[in-house]
Amino acid sequence: MTENRQVDLSGPQLFTRQEQEALGLLWEVYERHYDEIMAVTMAAANSDPALKQIMSQMRPDQMEADQLKSRRQTESAMRDGKWQPILDDIREQGGHYAQMGLPFQSWFLIVTAAQKIIIEKLFEAYAGDAARLQVIVLALNKWFFDVTLARIGETYLATREHVIRQQQEAIKELSTPVLPLRAGLLLLPVIGVIDSQRARQLTEQLLDGIRTHRAKVVVIDLTGVPAVDSAVANHLLQTVRAAKLLGASAVVTGISTENAQTLTRIGVDLSGLVTTSDLQSGVDEAEWLLEFFRGRHQTGRDERQLPVAER
Amino acid sequence: MTVPILKQGDYLIGSIQSALTDTDLIEFRSALADQVGKNRSRAVIIDVSGLDIIDSFTARTLQDITNTVKLKGARAVVVGIQPQVAFAMVQLGLYLDGVATALDLDEGLALLSAGAARRTSSG
Repeated sequence: MTENRQVDLSGPQLFTRQEQEALGLLWEVYERHYDEIMAVTMAAANSDPALKQIMSQMRPDQMEADQLKSRRQTESAMRDGKWQPILDDIREQGGHYAQMGLPFQSWFLIVTAAQKIIIEKLFEAYAGDAARLQVIVLALNKWFFDVTLARIGETYLATREHVIRQQQEAIKELSTPVLPLRAGLLLLPVIGVIDSQRARQLTEQLLDGIRTHRAKVVVIDLTGVPAVDSAVANHLLQTVRAAKLLGASAVVTGISTENAQTLTRIGVDLSGLVTTSDLQSGVDEAEWLLEFFRGRHQTGRDERQLPVAER
Repeated sequence: MTVPILKQGDYLIGSIQSALTDTDLIEFRSALADQVGKNRSRAVIIDVSGLDIIDSFTARTLQDITNTVKLKGARAVVVGIQPQVAFAMVQLGLYLDGVATALDLDEGLALLSAGAARRTSSG
C-alpha cells in the first residue's frame, strides 16, 4: 500500500519508501565515484559561458566549502532521508544565482551532465540487475528533475517577479516628470503605457506642478505613448479638465497618425482639446496662449483654438 | 454662515472660507448678482481656496453664478481650487464648463486685467 501511494512533492515526505531505498543505493555509487562525477560536472559547467563567468568570481576555498557542504547534505538526504536541509539550500542557492543573473538553462546543463555520468556509473554497478537499475534511475530522475530543478525554477520565477515589481515601481517614479519650460509653462512628457493607476499619478503630479510653478499653460506630449484606447483618452481628458480647474490650459501634442485614427474610429470626443502635431508646434502654441493671457494679442487669430472658457 | 463680498475697484471678490450649506450657497448667489447690479461691477472673483470638497451642487452654483453675472454684464472667475479638489471633481464629472478659472486671487486679477487690456485695444 504505502509503496504505491501518491507522493506529495510539497510535503516533507518526498519519496516513497522504495524510492528512498533506491536513493540509498544510488548514494553508494555516487560516493564511490564522487571525484569523477564532480570532474565531469565541473567540466560541463565550465563549457557554459555564463556559469564559467560566475565560477571565476568565486574564491576556490569558498567553492570547496560549498561542495563539501552539498556532499554532506546529499548524503544525509539520500542515505538517511533527511531532505529538509538540502531543499532549503537548493532554494537559497537558486534565489542567489537568479539574482546574479545566471540563466535557468545553465542549471539544466549541469543537472543533465551529472545525470549522464551517474547513470553511466549505475549501469556499471548494476549491469546484472535490470529491475533494480530501473528503480534507481527513476528515483534519480525524480530527485534531479521533479524536485531539484522544479524548486530552482520556482525560486527563479519568484526572483524574477520580484525584480519585475521593483522595476515597475522604478518606471512609475521615473516616467512622469513635470518640467518647467519657462515662466508659466510646464511640459509633461508622457512615455509608455498609461493605465488608470499611472494616469492618476500623472494627474496628481501635474496638478501639484501647476500650483508649485504657477503655470498657465501645460504641454502634454504623447509622442512616447505607444497606443491609446477609450480609457486612455478618458484619463487624458480628465487630466486636461483638472488642469483647467486650476486655471491652466493644456496643449496636447504628439498624437501619432495611428493613435489619431484609433481615437477617431472609436469615436472619442476630443473636441475640447487644443492639439498640435508635434512638441515644437505645441510649445509655439503654448507661448501664443501665454501671450494671449497677458492680453497682448488682440485679433488675427481663429479663436476656435482657444480653450472654451476664454472665447 | 454668509460669505463676505468685498468690493475692489471694478471687481467684486467673494471668498468662501469654509463648507457652506446649500441654502448659504443660494444666498451667496443672489447677493453676488445684486451687488454686481448695484456697483456696476465688471467682474466677480470667487475664491474657493477654503473648500476641501466641491460637490455637484457647489459646482452647479458656480456655473449658475457665472451665467447670472454674465447676464448682468460681468465676468466671473473662480480661483483657488486645490489640486486634490480638482482631481476629485473631474472624477465625479464636475468640469465647470464655461467657467473661467485661475490658480489664485493674484492670477484671477491678472486674467481679468488681461481681458480688459484686450478689449480696450481691440475696441
